[in-house]
Amino acid sequence: MPAVLRLLARRLGISLIVLAGVSMLIFGIARVIPGDPARIALGPNATGEQVAGLRQALHLDDPVAVQYGHFVADLLRGDLGVSLYTNRPVTLDIAQFLPATLELVLFAGVLMVGIGLPLGMWSASQRGRWPDHLIRVVSLLGVSAPSFVWAVMLMLMFAFFLPVFPIAGRITDSFEITRVTGFLLIDTLLAGNGAAFVDALRHIFLPAFALAVSGIGQAARLTRANMVETYDRPYIEMARAYGFPAGRIAAKYAFKPSLIPSLTIIGLDFAAMLGNAFLVEAVFAWPGLSRYGVAVILRKDLNAIIGTVLIISATFLIVNLIVDLLIAFLNPRIRHSERGAR
Amino acid sequence: MSAVLEIRDLHLRFRGHSGVSEVLHGVSLDIRAGERVALVGESGSGKSVTARIVLGLLQELPYAEVSGGLFLEGADLNRLSRRQWQGLRGTSISMIFQDPTSSLNPVFTIGAQFAEVLRRRDPGLPRGAADERAGALLRSVSIHDHARVLDAYPFQLSGGMNQRVVIAMALANHPSLLIADEPGTALDVTVQAQTLKLMHDLVERSGTAVLFISHNLGVVREFADRVFVIYRGRIVERGPTAAIFEAPGHAYTRALMAAVPRITGGGPPEPNDGETAFLDPMVVHEGGGA
Repeated sequence: MPAVLRLLARRLGISLIVLAGVSMLIFGIARVIPGDPARIALGPNATGEQVAGLRQALHLDDPVAVQYGHFVADLLRGDLGVSLYTNRPVTLDIAQFLPATLELVLFAGVLMVGIGLPLGMWSASQRGRWPDHLIRVVSLLGVSAPSFVWAVMLMLMFAFFLPVFPIAGRITDSFEITRVTGFLLIDTLLAGNGAAFVDALRHIFLPAFALAVSGIGQAARLTRANMVETYDRPYIEMARAYGFPAGRIAAKYAFKPSLIPSLTIIGLDFAAMLGNAFLVEAVFAWPGLSRYGVAVILRKDLNAIIGTVLIISATFLIVNLIVDLLIAFLNPRIRHSERGAR
Repeated sequence: MSAVLEIRDLHLRFRGHSGVSEVLHGVSLDIRAGERVALVGESGSGKSVTARIVLGLLQELPYAEVSGGLFLEGADLNRLSRRQWQGLRGTSISMIFQDPTSSLNPVFTIGAQFAEVLRRRDPGLPRGAADERAGALLRSVSIHDHARVLDAYPFQLSGGMNQRVVIAMALANHPSLLIADEPGTALDVTVQAQTLKLMHDLVERSGTAVLFISHNLGVVREFADRVFVIYRGRIVERGPTAAIFEAPGHAYTRALMAAVPRITGGGPPEPNDGETAFLDPMVVHEGGGA
């Protein structure tokens, strides 16, 4: 079996174990916190019998282990139960809210890589000159402030004082877009509606940028540091001694070896954006999974809490898996080693 | 016969926080066509910076001041633009570094790096044709499973193998001057000897002029036609290899020779750095056209 496939199989196995662990942990925590979900769901005016009936329907009177057994059996059938908050199957809720969050986080990821890496490369190639100093200061600033601070500041600056961008939401309501992927940037294009696409782009830019700022700073700093180190390597001197153009050395011969150590951290930052999205979505009234998650936690909506956490964990694991594969793809030492990575 | 490389009264100063320090104090050196010339001295004597000045690399550092005449096959290098000078690198002048494995990029295959070198002479050379030419060049350095080597990454090959690859790359574009900066010092002695012999044969056959930088007198004696001994940024002795080894005229050259460890034991004598005789004027051995 090729090394990359073996790596993939192993990482997939580990991811499944992690996911099982997460499900047990969150299942346990959700049952331990005080408050009766049935009572909260039915409201103060419900009778004792109604509450007892719902408790039975939800298996809440069984031991936790038995409840977990029911949960796993349902999960394997693709059933996450019914949300007590929306009265709809949790899977439907997630299918509705997840794409908005994924779109936001993916767009932020594109910004992080698309802005952070070139900034770092440029900074390294200008080492010691003013663009380098400027980029280092700015990226440190970006890393230092949390994303909800950026969200509030960006919103004030570019949606309130200078109303360049819309202040909240995903798209102007007057656009009717058929839902295909749930990603508005894609759905508007599929519908061939250019004006709606631009509108969606203007809506996503500020929240995505706020979410990406610290990642951009981090990516720029890491890339710069790794590239500065790479520039001192003999193989770069050799490339220069053989007259390879400076731009090509920067973009290819110094960049690729430098990218490998940066990529792990960039992947972690990317996954961390899933968590930060909770705050940014709140600021920009972004109708995503994070807002749904907050709402269901406050209502102790057990099925929805577990479903949300599981799906976010799964996304986190998938992102890490992709990063691992990318690194294996970029780093011949991993690709060609007999035992796979590490 | 005209000189392939001529260096006239080369000065190098570094500007630092604590003022200016002069590293080269008027170095002059010439290499004729097909000649192998060694520049010998201890570390810090100015050998490697001289090589990097010839390549035009050191001049790109903002804190380095270089002055002096530099001529490659009669052409005044100082009158070239930075771009023109860069155009000579990898084509008319090529270089071999100390450690072959670390001078090859770890994340690109040998084939990809070889193609890039060949494209210095032949821009737009397709990869297939590049591989074919690289294969032929690898055969000339006695690598016969060249298909495997071209597909390999440097870390998958031995140091000796990488050294052969680097030699093949250095000669790929038929340079008029090859600069070898302590080649193979990072390799073990037998492999170093083998690869130097290989390099010797190849440059002899192709008539490539070589500037051979080394601190290792044993290797220099085997390899070079003429020797320049450098000490603290000054040439202290020059002449044909045989003449210098038979009758070293300068106190520093004698100390350098005495510093070679002997198999009979006793250890090398400590060269006395404060020796005033080391600062004596240059000794020139005539003959060999020097």
